[in-house]
Amino acid sequence: MPDRWSFKSTVWPDWCPGCGNYGILTALIRSLEELGVDPSKTVVVSGIGCSGKTPHFVNVNGVHTLHGRAIPFAMGIKLARPELTVVVHGGDGDLLGIGAGHFVALGRRNLDIVVILHNNGVYGLTKGQASPTLPLGSKTKGIPRPNLQAAVNPLMLALAAGYTFVARGYAFEGEHLKTLIKKAVEHKGSAIIDVLQPCVTFNDILTPEYYKARIYKLESDPGWDPVVRTPEEREAKLLRAVQKALEPWDKIPIGVLYADETQSTMEERLSERLKIYPALNPSNSPISGADGGPVISVDDFAKAFSDYIVEVKKTQGRFNLKG
Amino acid sequence: MRRTELSLILGGPQGSGLETAMWILTLSLARAGYGVIADREYYSNIVGRHSYIHMRVSSARRPRSLKLPVEVLVASDAETLFTHFNDIGDGGYLIYDTSIKAKQLSDVPSVEDVTRKRIMSQLSSLGVRGDTDSLISYLASSRSVLPIPIDSVKIFRALSERFKLNAKQASRFSSSILGSALTVVMGLDPEDLEYAVRRRFGARKDLLEQNMFVAQLVGEMVKDYRGIVKLEDPSMNAERIMVVTGNETVAMGKIIGGVRFQSYYPITPAADESIMLEKYEVLDSGKGPVGPILVLQAEDEIAAIASVIGASLTGARSSTATSGPGFDLMIEGIGWAGNNETPVVITYYQRGGPSTGLPTRGGQSDLFNALFSGHGEFARVVLASGDHKEALYDAAEAFNIAEKYQVPVIHLLDKFLANSIVTETLPDFSLVKLERGMRGAEGPGYKRFDLSSTISPRLPLGAKDTVMWYTGDEHDELGHISEDPENRARMYSKRIEKLKLINMEIPSSFKLTVHGHESPDYALVGWGFVKGVAIEAIEQLSSRGLRGMYVNLRLMWPFPTEEFTRLVRGLDPDKIIAVEHSYGVSIADLIAMNTGVRVGKKISKYTGRPIYLNELTEAVQSLLSGRTERAEVSLGA
Repeated sequence: MPDRWSFKSTVWPDWCPGCGNYGILTALIRSLEELGVDPSKTVVVSGIGCSGKTPHFVNVNGVHTLHGRAIPFAMGIKLARPELTVVVHGGDGDLLGIGAGHFVALGRRNLDIVVILHNNGVYGLTKGQASPTLPLGSKTKGIPRPNLQAAVNPLMLALAAGYTFVARGYAFEGEHLKTLIKKAVEHKGSAIIDVLQPCVTFNDILTPEYYKARIYKLESDPGWDPVVRTPEEREAKLLRAVQKALEPWDKIPIGVLYADETQSTMEERLSERLKIYPALNPSNSPISGADGGPVISVDDFAKAFSDYIVEVKKTQGRFNLKG
Repeated sequence: MRRTELSLILGGPQGSGLETAMWILTLSLARAGYGVIADREYYSNIVGRHSYIHMRVSSARRPRSLKLPVEVLVASDAETLFTHFNDIGDGGYLIYDTSIKAKQLSDVPSVEDVTRKRIMSQLSSLGVRGDTDSLISYLASSRSVLPIPIDSVKIFRALSERFKLNAKQASRFSSSILGSALTVVMGLDPEDLEYAVRRRFGARKDLLEQNMFVAQLVGEMVKDYRGIVKLEDPSMNAERIMVVTGNETVAMGKIIGGVRFQSYYPITPAADESIMLEKYEVLDSGKGPVGPILVLQAEDEIAAIASVIGASLTGARSSTATSGPGFDLMIEGIGWAGNNETPVVITYYQRGGPSTGLPTRGGQSDLFNALFSGHGEFARVVLASGDHKEALYDAAEAFNIAEKYQVPVIHLLDKFLANSIVTETLPDFSLVKLERGMRGAEGPGYKRFDLSSTISPRLPLGAKDTVMWYTGDEHDELGHISEDPENRARMYSKRIEKLKLINMEIPSSFKLTVHGHESPDYALVGWGFVKGVAIEAIEQLSSRGLRGMYVNLRLMWPFPTEEFTRLVRGLDPDKIIAVEHSYGVSIADLIAMNTGVRVGKKISKYTGRPIYLNELTEAVQSLLSGRTERAEVSLGA
């Protein structure tokens, strides 16, 4: 890669003027710059919707996938080539509605992937329908009647699912968000950052003014320490994270709620079982011999699959050659 | 009379060790040099519903189809007798557990009401009462069936005494008792049985002793019948024989073909393949470890295909295995792979649909689902395997096609193939070549979707100094979203026109295989598991003076239009018969759509059971001699 690599691609971001996504994009680009990642070893994976376009605006590998499916795409990439840094971008509908099963499954696996949740309470690109994080009874200008469905709490869901890094950021707190992304990338295991992001076009309730009046930083409390350093600390830190995640909505904490470094990652579990996995992974292990044939010979095959092979008894001496 | 082949059914409740009995029997017969095919039919149930093994054994060939009636019915419970009494031919043999005596059909709770009514009306039309004793005496007197009773209680007792087993442990031998009886009436050398038990149970010395003890007791019990259905000595010459299911040959083919990532969500009858891949996640090549094959049990089929695509983007040979309901969930992902020219292999084991349909029964009703699923147009390749060996080679070849042409490849199989066991020779490794397609030049100038050739050279995510983009939207050469009409037309047509290239480059001998007479009086046309039964049917009909050809279609899409048209040119459409395990016999429509050739006649079976040799020959004869266009066959319980 050239010495001075621009992590910003040349593609024009076509988000609405004033959109929270710009703040998230800037924080992402700056965190990647500061982390000094190799763009060719970094992959941004997204789902569908406004946030889904993020990979095109970043000058690292980008995979813009299907609605709700960014996480399983990312899992395949990470498992097959663990050296890659993999960052998922998805909206609240994408990750907590259509893709909620995958969101939960990633936590269970604790695979080393960062999930950045663009949380704006609405489905923007289809003109403002209620998303799974829009509070019950809210009537935004994109919907004709107040919301009949209650909101899911992404942080609670993530903690319950087993994510080992759980944080909340705000799209217009760029420096703070950049730091969260850097920490999440450096964390070993599944990381989620719930990024509150005003949708200036369709959500006239969760506005910048709304957030400005409520947001406060966890780090402003000098005693706040979300890091689990030993298994014994886990329960207490998890409970405190839950308390923070449940704080009444008139005071919104942002920052790292929980960071557990004591849980094994899926890569570690795999490496323990599959001793060759760290050196030979699915993307780099040879599959054919010099002649283009299989890496195993017919004798290797017979040995490996001996359970399926019978040595035919030749008692009669009457075998003919017609087979 | 010297027999060269024998068919049998061995039935009992699900969970009573039938599958073990099937393996032991097949391994014994393979050891002795016979050819075997054995199909397992079962309900979607874990314990208690009726299950059976339908087997055909031959001393002269490796049989590839089943037939009815059978010469031997082995009943470990009353339900088996009630369900299959019509499946024994006149002069056949009924081996039964004496515990089934004096049982009423109305008292067997696992029989479905609709089935009970059907059986009852059959029995009354024959003038037989609805109990086992009447049925056994009817079979003996009117069908000349020889009943051979086995007193398993006596054997359980001896087993318990000798090995200090409790009643539950002893009852696990119920299927092997009847399996042993079969080896006796077939006149098998007890050494072959011992070999099979050893193979099945490995180092479990206790199980070997117990099984051999059972065999000895059973041997004494039925000594008067020893060898009554003995086959001629085998006349095939292989020294090493695989005893495998279709699931297993596909897994073997994937391993030979270099699979490195497989993700799946559990579903019958596909899951066994993934389980086997996980079991063999690392192999020993003699030159060091081979692998790994990373098997991910995903949270659903959507995640399975998505993770497979993700892994493929990094350059790993990646695949999934599923059946109809799971495939439906994967379709959106397959469209994404098509739009992004991503090689993935989807192994698709058909079963009876629609919806969950017949979850544990077979069918071929998903051809169009494989061919036309998904919105928009994109290139995909669909392969279908006709038998276990073909399934092995196709599983490896599917990756080559996927990578060379950067397309999703759907490999179609069915439950019959997946779950049936056959004896088969070892694969010929010289027939397997691994081709990975063109690799691009690394560096900042790389364009993933370069338009200067039909196949853009590929690089994996993570290639040195290279970045690339993918999107499900229409995109430009770099992979960025583009709605420009000119770019759209070029990208869209480039993707679809690969099909022409594929059709040009895949050898005709792979696309379809032709069996039987070269200038026939009639042609059977089919695909998948029809192959075995169709080939054997034309052989049988040949001895009745009907010269037939079977066209086995293997490359279903892009359809081998030229090759097929050439083959059937000059044949009267009314002498072309399409055979399929479906109602619609969709292959006939696919042929018409691609070639304009009208297939005049159709043979259809959609009961979830395989097409049997005898019903196929009869249906072919009646269609050729009559004016009807369609025959439905429906044998089997």
